[in-house]
Amino acid sequence: MAQNHWLSTGNFFTSYKQEQRNFLTHLDTSIFTFFLILLFAWPLFFDLGNKMMFVVDNLMIAIVAVMGLNLVTGFAGLISIGHAAFVGIGAYTVASFCRTLGTSHELITHFWPLVIVISGLVGAGFGAFVGLPAFRLKHLYLAIATLSFQMIFQWVINFMTFFNQGQTIFVGRVSWVTGRVGRNDHYEFWYYVILVVVVLLGFGIRNLLKTKYGRCLIAVRDNDRAADAMGMHPGLTKVYAFALAGFFAGVAGALHAYVYRGVGFESFTLHESVSYLAMAIVGGLGTLNGSFWGPVAIKFLDLQVETLSEVAGQYLPAGMNLATALKPFTFGLVIVLFLMFEPRGIANWWRIVKSYTKLWPFRY
Amino acid sequence: MVYFCQIMVSGIVVGSIYALAALGLVLIYKSSRVANFAHGQIIAAGAFITYFLTVDLGLPIFFSFLASMVITFFLAMSVERIFLRRLIGEPIISVIMVTIGLSSIIDGLIYLTPFGTENYSFPAFLPTTPLTVYGVSISWTQLLGVIITFILIGAFSWFFKKSTVGISMRAVSDDQFGSMSVGISVPRVFGLAWATAGLSAAAAGCIIGNITGLNFDTLHAFGIVVFPVVILGGLDSILGAVVAGIIMGLIQQFASGYLDGNWGLSGTGEVAPYIILVIILFFKPHGLFGVHEIERV
Repeated sequence: MAQNHWLSTGNFFTSYKQEQRNFLTHLDTSIFTFFLILLFAWPLFFDLGNKMMFVVDNLMIAIVAVMGLNLVTGFAGLISIGHAAFVGIGAYTVASFCRTLGTSHELITHFWPLVIVISGLVGAGFGAFVGLPAFRLKHLYLAIATLSFQMIFQWVINFMTFFNQGQTIFVGRVSWVTGRVGRNDHYEFWYYVILVVVVLLGFGIRNLLKTKYGRCLIAVRDNDRAADAMGMHPGLTKVYAFALAGFFAGVAGALHAYVYRGVGFESFTLHESVSYLAMAIVGGLGTLNGSFWGPVAIKFLDLQVETLSEVAGQYLPAGMNLATALKPFTFGLVIVLFLMFEPRGIANWWRIVKSYTKLWPFRY
Repeated sequence: MVYFCQIMVSGIVVGSIYALAALGLVLIYKSSRVANFAHGQIIAAGAFITYFLTVDLGLPIFFSFLASMVITFFLAMSVERIFLRRLIGEPIISVIMVTIGLSSIIDGLIYLTPFGTENYSFPAFLPTTPLTVYGVSISWTQLLGVIITFILIGAFSWFFKKSTVGISMRAVSDDQFGSMSVGISVPRVFGLAWATAGLSAAAAGCIIGNITGLNFDTLHAFGIVVFPVVILGGLDSILGAVVAGIIMGLIQQFASGYLDGNWGLSGTGEVAPYIILVIILFFKPHGLFGVHEIERV
């Protein structure tokens, strides 16, 4: 029987190698290529303006960070309430280069990919260090260890004059092969950079989960004692999960520093950590596409609440800021409702749609 | 020496408040294994309810103190009933995230009221001149706070040692299936644990509010800073919460009293509990009085 390469009605793998492929059918490949081309091409046809492009950049950075959080919390099952601090580590790595070498040193403006990778590695180092208690502890204790890392990070940034005591540290404009990236191209340029990073890291995660190291994470999440008995080292695996999450966060932080062209303390607070967690949960923990849905949903909600409170604010007495009240309220409500009614997140809807269309129109 | 004693006294004052605030957290963790990240918001809510009853409705302050404890009792109970009851048996991350979500919801609700942004203080009902013994001074509000704290902690320990409900709560924390088989309603105990935690949180909120003034940021920050306290004491020990609360208060006050201003340091009092926390997690993760759980596959 000739196999249908476009639509598969079931799994016909005859070897592991077939199962390990990235795209199972031609349809998958073409859908992916279509979306990739769409994502790369749309800025050429629509000019959103700097303000909206900035929002999109922000969203993509959140996606990078949430991919890391999803690795540690979703796949390895370790709760991290300090993810924004890891992002901050990445951003402040760039900032400390700027402080020591000057804002427009060649390293920062010309070799920025290198700086981004270095920030990721520094983030990974801190992640591994914070994960060290994982050798002896689990669950809540680890969550509180990350929480304390967050608090210590905030204090250190606010206290040290080297970090300008939390005030903005400027980062210079970068150069590309076409020359210096100017004010008008800035956000569009970084959109492409972040898109490339997201695609690379997305494939990285997808392939990681097919290897021994990725499966190790999931085994430790499901039952670390059993994983121990199977010959894995749960402690090391957890530390390595934290290091990976730290790497993603560090990269996100460096991108954040470059896009904002400055590093300030207020982007890395406990509140941000919680909202990264919320994004991961709303998107769907332990799924790769959840890392894309979650940030989109939460950022979209944020924007909607902002416009809503602007509209409603006209009918309210002056001086009352509805956004400060409505933002945390809707944010909390969304988290709680998702956990109560759809704990597997938006990724689950995607899964349902996919499994519906897979057998359509020949269902049972 | 006077300086030392002064710091000691303020450390005990702060520490006893920590103990009271940590008590609620331990109660919930002990019975239902839930770490409540909304505790600070409940503390703030209790304090604001007391202020509302005293100032806006003109009730006597001690009466409104008791009334706000009763209100938060039922408030926390309904929070458990509505949000947490469905999540029994869900993975720990869901439960933790629900409490974080709850804290965000209560944040939003408080920001809707004027309490979210402005500072208030309770009407003074005690002499304002501090009590001074050998040069060490303690204000009457602080003294009253410490006294009420110790009365409440005494009442709670009596409740857990002697009363039937308290004993059934301890039974549930020890073995849920065992206590079910002797006729204890486990969900009811969970509700009660939240309710008593809410009650102690309201008391803590009023005492803090009376000493430092009512500011939402300071009040809900207590919900985070009690985590180092409960970890130091051991997450499931009430005695641990009290001892660790006082130790943490002393550490914090000594840190800010002796380290701030030297070597260019500042704000060490805020970060000291977390540094202690990291050290504890590395060397004695189950705290001073906590129980090391034995796990089997």
